[in-house]
Amino acid sequence: VNAPALRVAVDIGGTFTDLVVFDETAGTTFETKASTTPADFAQGVLETIRAGNVAPEAIGYLVHGTTVVINAITQRAGVTTALVTTMGFRDALAIGRGNRPDMYNLKFHKPEPFVPRRLRFEVRERVAADGTVGMPIHLCDLDVVAQACRDQGVEAVAICFLHSYAHPEHERQAAEYLGRLLPGVTISTSSEITKEWREYERSSTVVLNAYVQPILDRYLAKLEEDLRALRVPGRLFAMLSNGGTAAFESARRQPIQLVESGPAGGIIGAALVGEQIGEPNVISLDVGGTTAKCSLIEGGDVKIAGDYRLAWTPLSPGYPVRVPVVDIVEIGAGGGSVAWFDEGGALRVGPRSAGAEPGPACYGRGGTEPTVTDAMLIAGVLDPASFLGGRLVVEVALARTAYEPVAERLGVSVEAAAAGVIRLVNEATIDALKLVSVRRGYDPRDFSLVAFGGGGPMHAAALASELGVKRVVIPPFPGTFSAWGMLMTRPRVDLTRTRVTRLDTAHPGEIDEVFCELENEARGRLIEQGFASEQIAGHRRSLDMRYHGQEHTVRVPLPPGERVAQPTLEAAFHTLHRRSYTFALVDTPVEIVNFRTISTVEMPRPTMRRVRLGGNDATGGAESRRRRVDFGDGVRRETAILSRSSLPVGFAAVGPAIVEEASATTVVLPGQRLKVDRFGNLVISPGGAV
Amino acid sequence: MTDAFTREIIRNKLLALTNEMGVVLARTSMSPIVYEVLDFACGICDATGRVIAQDNGLCLFTGTFRPQVESILEKYPTATMRPGDVYMTNSPYGGGTHNADVALIQPIFAEDRVLAFGISVTHWTEVGGKVLGSLAPDSTEIYQEGLQFPRLRLYREGEINEAIVDIIRANVRLPTMSIGDLNAGVAAVRIAEQRLSDVVARYGLAAVEETFEAILDHGESLALAALARIPAGVYEADDVIDGDGVSEAPIPIQVKVTVAPDRFVADFTGCSPQTLGPINCARGALLSACKTVFKAITAPQQPSNEGLFRPFELLAPEGTVFTAVRPAPTGWYYEASAYATELVWKALARVLPERLSAGSYVSLCAYYIGGRRPDGEYWVLATPQDGGWGACADRDGENSLIATTDGDTYNYPAEVVETAFPLTMLRNAFNVEAGGGAGRHRGGFGTVREYRIENPTGGSLLASLGRSVHAPWGIGGGRAGTVNYFEVVRSNGEVIRGGRVTSLPLDRGDIVRIVTGNGGGWGDPRERHGNVVRRDVADGFVSPQAAKEDYGREVAG
Repeated sequence: VNAPALRVAVDIGGTFTDLVVFDETAGTTFETKASTTPADFAQGVLETIRAGNVAPEAIGYLVHGTTVVINAITQRAGVTTALVTTMGFRDALAIGRGNRPDMYNLKFHKPEPFVPRRLRFEVRERVAADGTVGMPIHLCDLDVVAQACRDQGVEAVAICFLHSYAHPEHERQAAEYLGRLLPGVTISTSSEITKEWREYERSSTVVLNAYVQPILDRYLAKLEEDLRALRVPGRLFAMLSNGGTAAFESARRQPIQLVESGPAGGIIGAALVGEQIGEPNVISLDVGGTTAKCSLIEGGDVKIAGDYRLAWTPLSPGYPVRVPVVDIVEIGAGGGSVAWFDEGGALRVGPRSAGAEPGPACYGRGGTEPTVTDAMLIAGVLDPASFLGGRLVVEVALARTAYEPVAERLGVSVEAAAAGVIRLVNEATIDALKLVSVRRGYDPRDFSLVAFGGGGPMHAAALASELGVKRVVIPPFPGTFSAWGMLMTRPRVDLTRTRVTRLDTAHPGEIDEVFCELENEARGRLIEQGFASEQIAGHRRSLDMRYHGQEHTVRVPLPPGERVAQPTLEAAFHTLHRRSYTFALVDTPVEIVNFRTISTVEMPRPTMRRVRLGGNDATGGAESRRRRVDFGDGVRRETAILSRSSLPVGFAAVGPAIVEEASATTVVLPGQRLKVDRFGNLVISPGGAV
Repeated sequence: MTDAFTREIIRNKLLALTNEMGVVLARTSMSPIVYEVLDFACGICDATGRVIAQDNGLCLFTGTFRPQVESILEKYPTATMRPGDVYMTNSPYGGGTHNADVALIQPIFAEDRVLAFGISVTHWTEVGGKVLGSLAPDSTEIYQEGLQFPRLRLYREGEINEAIVDIIRANVRLPTMSIGDLNAGVAAVRIAEQRLSDVVARYGLAAVEETFEAILDHGESLALAALARIPAGVYEADDVIDGDGVSEAPIPIQVKVTVAPDRFVADFTGCSPQTLGPINCARGALLSACKTVFKAITAPQQPSNEGLFRPFELLAPEGTVFTAVRPAPTGWYYEASAYATELVWKALARVLPERLSAGSYVSLCAYYIGGRRPDGEYWVLATPQDGGWGACADRDGENSLIATTDGDTYNYPAEVVETAFPLTMLRNAFNVEAGGGAGRHRGGFGTVREYRIENPTGGSLLASLGRSVHAPWGIGGGRAGTVNYFEVVRSNGEVIRGGRVTSLPLDRGDIVRIVTGNGGGWGDPRERHGNVVRRDVADGFVSPQAAKEDYGREVAG
């Protein structure tokens, strides 16, 4: 019997659950989808396997991206959770950082904490900043806590003590003691999730972990049971927010690591598309119905954010979660985004979206507000006849009706109003793309733009010409690209430890020692997940560094596994600081704040063969139709409409052109050059613009 | 004429630009008060000083840019300016706040003339003067409050005036930090120049200037639309500031607010004269204080610009506690400023329940705990403290929130305090013991923070906590909140309590306790729902005794 040859990724989205399968023997990829089943997500997953006629017993590896964690939190559907803190700090979780980002709102309301005051408890214990014990833990204080938890039906307990990043022992002891007193209650400690300083952020992280732990635990257990019942023999992995995966058993212990499980897949995919085409520097753009998500990949590395906040907006502090999350800038500009006039009469687009229900006006489901999708239809970019591969019937007349008030108020034609809205959305997206690039000291001219999601391919060409990126790449199956990315991920453990260390007074070897400790811990965790030591591919190291006296840090990557001389390190820091902030303070002492490692498991990635989507005849794929399209300048141009599935490898054309496929529409502006590369990617060279 | 879409695109770029200035400033500053407290502001003004776009970390700078740029223009007409120049001012009487807030202003040129100004204001941890931190609560003249930068030209065509830097270096206690702040402020205005020039290159000068006007007109129409919804009338309020840092004599203040569909006048005639101590603010800070409430009741979520404030008028004679003149000290100006904001708020709270709450803890409650380590190195924890906000018509007041003067201002984590300073933080908790603020909706709780001094050579405490005598006000039968105060508990058990103090010596082992007040209540406490009172008792927010006495509910503890 052959080894199970199928690698499978399942991504649960708001509307559809996507399945992408890679057959290692045949070297082929295919995809399928089923409706998402919110009542029991596992049903949707199983349905995709059935719908795709995937032989369960052939599945050797399955990776799963899920929104179960983030949904449970945002819908406040987690379990009754208690928090145990150091004496004197019971209220720290509710105090938060005391900030009012919505500064002129004199009735500002903080996000509600996930643990009410009656379930926040204190214990006598003290650890100093340097990790020494000031007061041993009084475990007897936990007896009362346990009783109160039993009385109030607590299902999960979070523990966060001061300076536990420097000395986790007290948290461990408390967890063990409470675990004995509270059988069946899950216990999370802050230090097992993150060893970074700042007690509020760590408390918030561990509370959210505890709050969803029983939910994810039950969900993954059920899914595993269902899959095994189908005789799926392979190993099961969950997609983490850091762009890696973890075995189900491990994910169940730290569910908060799955908080941005979905979007991470697309960004990993974008990095791999870059690798395929020999482009280590990529900006990824994922445009959906409600938002556009941008991220930056430099030298093949996906950037990780150190300060992720769940439910953050410019007006709300959100909930800090100190786990590694792929660094994403998200703006409210998607296909469903609504154009509207504010009270002062200025035109705005988004962030409000018509969503899937009622959807854009053209859907004819009762939506009357003008959306971006309606504008695309009016401009002729989208074709009512082939909308979503013909799966949805839309009406241009309804879109026009929605745009009439906008046109009237501005004294322009409906076409001009629609074209203007498209420009506004593009500009907002350009600002977001600049936020991840220019403002962080990167030059977009060194990058390629990989665009996906239902809307990414439609906007990418216009953005590219203004940003000046090298090229735009639209991968095959842009609509299910996140799942494709998940298929390509590897098991991974990211660890961070705060240890403030002055570079000039650190003894030689000290830095290397801390890294070795972290790497040993990561190795242990991966071995626990069933990997052999020799499979662990290597550990990437970085340091968060700053000038003494500063607060914010710059992340300095280090070569793996070797000692770096302090002067080299210092010089690297000065350079990076200058790039980010325009100056360096070469006479000021430099210090390390956080040590970070990323450890991955070496697994063969599916090798993508050259695809033969439309055969290899470079002269084939002739345009099927033509229509008149406005690309934003008010001019209707006769435009070739190409069907992606009929475009052979090597196909080349000069814009204007539109490439249609079931899940997306790609725009090529006048003067831009389109080429289909040997992997089936649509590659657009910008330069042309309107 | 530029089309509406292009104008909107340019407008967004200007907002992104000021936001980027703020990011650069906050992240490059070496001063904790900037990077943790966000005590800074950035923006773009047009060639006459009108604010086009602003990004401020706190409310105190809502109205200072225009008078500051105007003061520079008075001394240096645009014809004398050149690309690469940067001007510098910190004069409280010239539109600023206090000496520690240093404004850097760079003209931005297009087609050989000044199109706009980039401006950044940064609170430096040190500008010299009488005490570490430059803000002596007992100073009686501005000369005790550190260096004054009387409208200097810091850069000429990109060349820095080294003499100014040398003077700063010689006159401040923490030169590395102060020069770091200077660099951060310059980096911010340099970014403004770069980005605005990019916008001009892309869309043309005419489009940019048309957009400036459109932004201002749009701001005005937002303000007028909101004003039309406020019942026209004359609304008055009075209050008492409890002491100026030098004396505890009460300082009566009052305001008369006239609301009409097209104008909003705040008249401060009749307020106490400027005081000997440093809680005075000057006119620029008073403008900020009033504009903060004006924005809060008209367009709280819209970006700030001069147009929004066109209907606003200020009437205030010179030389009062809100319009101090030289040589009045203004180190703790934000205390007067906070009261001015709350005074206008108090006048309008009853007619604007959808925007305003009952009285809050008001004072920024800032304090400095610092000293010298055994090796001689200075250290100082300088921080405001969050406190209790007033109850609202529709819900309880917010707990532990930073004062009105500030904004997206973060408190210090215990773990950062203990790493950076020889202090142990023993407590960071709601001020539930004080009670107060009972009402149908309850006032929010303030915060109790306790620090133990671990420095072998001790240190000292500087504190300026207002509202330490007159408690926050309730509305419609809601009870008053509670006052702010500090306590120092000596090792021998002796306790010193007060509101404002200068250089109180501290020994190793002493405990400094900073207690911020609870906000005022809204409505009759007897109307509070029984289940809510029971939940408050379970949470330890209300004692069983208070449940009975204030709320008329019997709840078992």
